Amino acid sequence: MGGKRKKGESEGMEGDNDSKNNNKKMKQKSEILPSSVKNKEKRSAVHAKLKHQKKVEKRKKLKARDAAEKRALELGEEPAPKQIPRTIENTREADETVCMPDDEELFAGNDADEFSSILKRDRTPKILITTCRFNSTRGPSFISELLSVIPNAHYNKRGTYDLKKIVEYANNKEFTSIIVVHTNRREPDALLIIGLPDGPTAHFKLSSLVLRKDIKNHGNPTSHMPELVLNNFTTRLGHRIGRLIQSLFPQDPNFRGRRVVTFHNQRDFIFFRHHRYVFETKESKQSDSKGKKAKDAKGESIAKEKVVARLQECGPRFTLKLVSLQHGTFDTKGGEYEWVHKPEMDTSRRRFFL
Amino acid sequence: MPRTTTVECPGCPPFRALTFDALGLIKVIEARGKEGGVPKVVERWGDPDASKCVLAASIDDRKTDPLLAVARKSGMVEVLNPLNGELSVTVSNVNSGSARPEDDAIVGLHLFRRQRLELTSRSCTLLTCTTKGNASIRSVEMTDSPADSGASRTWSVCASGNISCSLVDGSESYAIFGGKGVEVNMWDLDKCTKIWTGKPPPKNSLGIFTPTWFTSATFLSKDDHRKVVAGTNSHQVRLYDVSAQRRPVISFDFRETSIKAVTEDLDGHTIYIGNGSGELASVDIRTGKLLGCFLGKCSGSIRSIDRHPELPVIASCGLDSYLRIWDIGTRQLLSSVFLKQHLTKVVFDTNFTEEVKHSAADSALHEAQSIGEVQSADETEKLPTKRKKSSKEDRGSRKKASKDKDGSKKLKSKKRSKILENEFADDA
Repeated sequence: MGGKRKKGESEGMEGDNDSKNNNKKMKQKSEILPSSVKNKEKRSAVHAKLKHQKKVEKRKKLKARDAAEKRALELGEEPAPKQIPRTIENTREADETVCMPDDEELFAGNDADEFSSILKRDRTPKILITTCRFNSTRGPSFISELLSVIPNAHYNKRGTYDLKKIVEYANNKEFTSIIVVHTNRREPDALLIIGLPDGPTAHFKLSSLVLRKDIKNHGNPTSHMPELVLNNFTTRLGHRIGRLIQSLFPQDPNFRGRRVVTFHNQRDFIFFRHHRYVFETKESKQSDSKGKKAKDAKGESIAKEKVVARLQECGPRFTLKLVSLQHGTFDTKGGEYEWVHKPEMDTSRRRFFL
Repeated sequence: MPRTTTVECPGCPPFRALTFDALGLIKVIEARGKEGGVPKVVERWGDPDASKCVLAASIDDRKTDPLLAVARKSGMVEVLNPLNGELSVTVSNVNSGSARPEDDAIVGLHLFRRQRLELTSRSCTLLTCTTKGNASIRSVEMTDSPADSGASRTWSVCASGNISCSLVDGSESYAIFGGKGVEVNMWDLDKCTKIWTGKPPPKNSLGIFTPTWFTSATFLSKDDHRKVVAGTNSHQVRLYDVSAQRRPVISFDFRETSIKAVTEDLDGHTIYIGNGSGELASVDIRTGKLLGCFLGKCSGSIRSIDRHPELPVIASCGLDSYLRIWDIGTRQLLSSVFLKQHLTKVVFDTNFTEEVKHSAADSALHEAQSIGEVQSADETEKLPTKRKKSSKEDRGSRKKASKDKDGSKKLKSKKRSKILENEFADDA
């Protein structure tokens, strides 16, 4: 009896629960999940309907927000603070290796490292560019473009020389860096930058190469010395790579030219862009002109409204990703690595090393 | 989905370690608190100066009057007090008429443990070895004059080639040297004679002969000078037995870059090897079997490994500027400290235990501290206040030792809660 009653009660309760659940479900999701529908046509219809609904909602929200802002401005009061979108760069894991601005050890380390003589302008950069043993298709055109980007660069054919011998040869001829472009399947895919005389060796993976002729409305580079912009190299490793790149170009802090080369680091990918620019005076109501400095940070100065810089892209466009940084010159077997990428380091999507 | 390691770094037992880096700085890292102590850089000695890059270091870890010897790139060997970084003596290793210190850099350094009788004379004995093979033993007085007094023997270890590793064994009467083009050889230090040289393994079946290049070596146990483990540039680890034969007894390969650091475990048959791409592993040397790798995001070449004499931890440091503490049993990373420069060497200071400081001279803060119950939060706020001048005699603790530091009268620095025990540690 009790059992029956209990059953009855429980059924009743279940019924109640069911109806409650149904109500809830109906309030929360009045549609059925597309994945529960087995019929493809019906399923795609349900999915399309869902998407359309979401789109409509989003547009409504946006309109409401805009209207609120407009109203607030008209009334003269503060509009609601703008929401900041959450990006991966915003939510990057705090890295303890980030360079702090007041770090004495950083400056001492910089003075002591291999690039300090070039960066202090005791030596002028002289670059030797060569390739791997088999070079074909896009390789030579890429090299010729690199030669025009980097001043004081020389190209030598590889032949069958060992890379260690090439390093010796370059040391004898007083080069300051070697760049080796490695080709795989008829496409350049790796870049090896070796600092000399016993500087570090950085191995980069090269991708997304776009040559000059493939860029719409490209310009031809002038023969000015390029200015260099290095963005977002925050950690110690990034700082070191930044200095390595800096040592490829001539240093002149107070220099104004008409060519700029940008290495922009984002999420451990380094994007290379090469532009030429010209300042023009224009009558315009509101504009901000960009002045570019010769060394690290990008500076934006909002000057008088009349000077405007026009940019024209020239030169190749490619992305680099650091694979390994080795302490001495190129020696994979016996060398020691300062940083080598290992898959066990990729444990978090918010963690970057450069 | 990227493979995630869900194990966070658990806290590490209390320890004190000193690291040496490429700019000549010596940093002291301490971890306090019984469980979950986070190691922090407590002190930093020296000014950043690349010419003072530390090439080798050796600690004499006694209860009373411990000493630390540091060899720098400029050819100077400095003897310091590891408690407060004070310089006791500087010895120049440059012989008159020989090459400049940069060409003939010091590669190995060992500070001999002093016997009790010598305590009164306050001198210490150093063995140094340079890349060109000039080894010398000299004893140095610890007075203010840095003159090099007493016996000093110099001999040449190798005729040609460069030495890259040199070690002294636990009983301090034998030393091994090895390097590029130099086979492992063992010398008897009392008589200054070479008692054993290794021979390269026979040519392999392809007829390829790899040139000799030893990058690291160690004695297998403190008591037995006859077994030597050496790592080569071609990622091979070899075990030599001096009493058996000249060729290696066991040799095996490990990954693909040169073996940069080898350290033995206290049980006499396990070794820890670290190579040029940051891989750290423990191997049972009796069989040559790899016991396991230490996984923990180490991305730079490992320059030095040290095993704590009591706690089951090892410390590794290297070119990625991190000092990492690992647990031996589980091969787990306990903690890592970022130290900003390329590190060249790490040594443990074994006479550090987390104890109460019974100092009467300091304030009541210390009375509030009790053994083992201090949380790390408390530690961090108390650490700055601990750095006060204090007199030394009030360091009496439950253990018997009372410190006897004549050499460091001007205690300009920091207090540490340190009870020195009467034991010797072999931390070369």
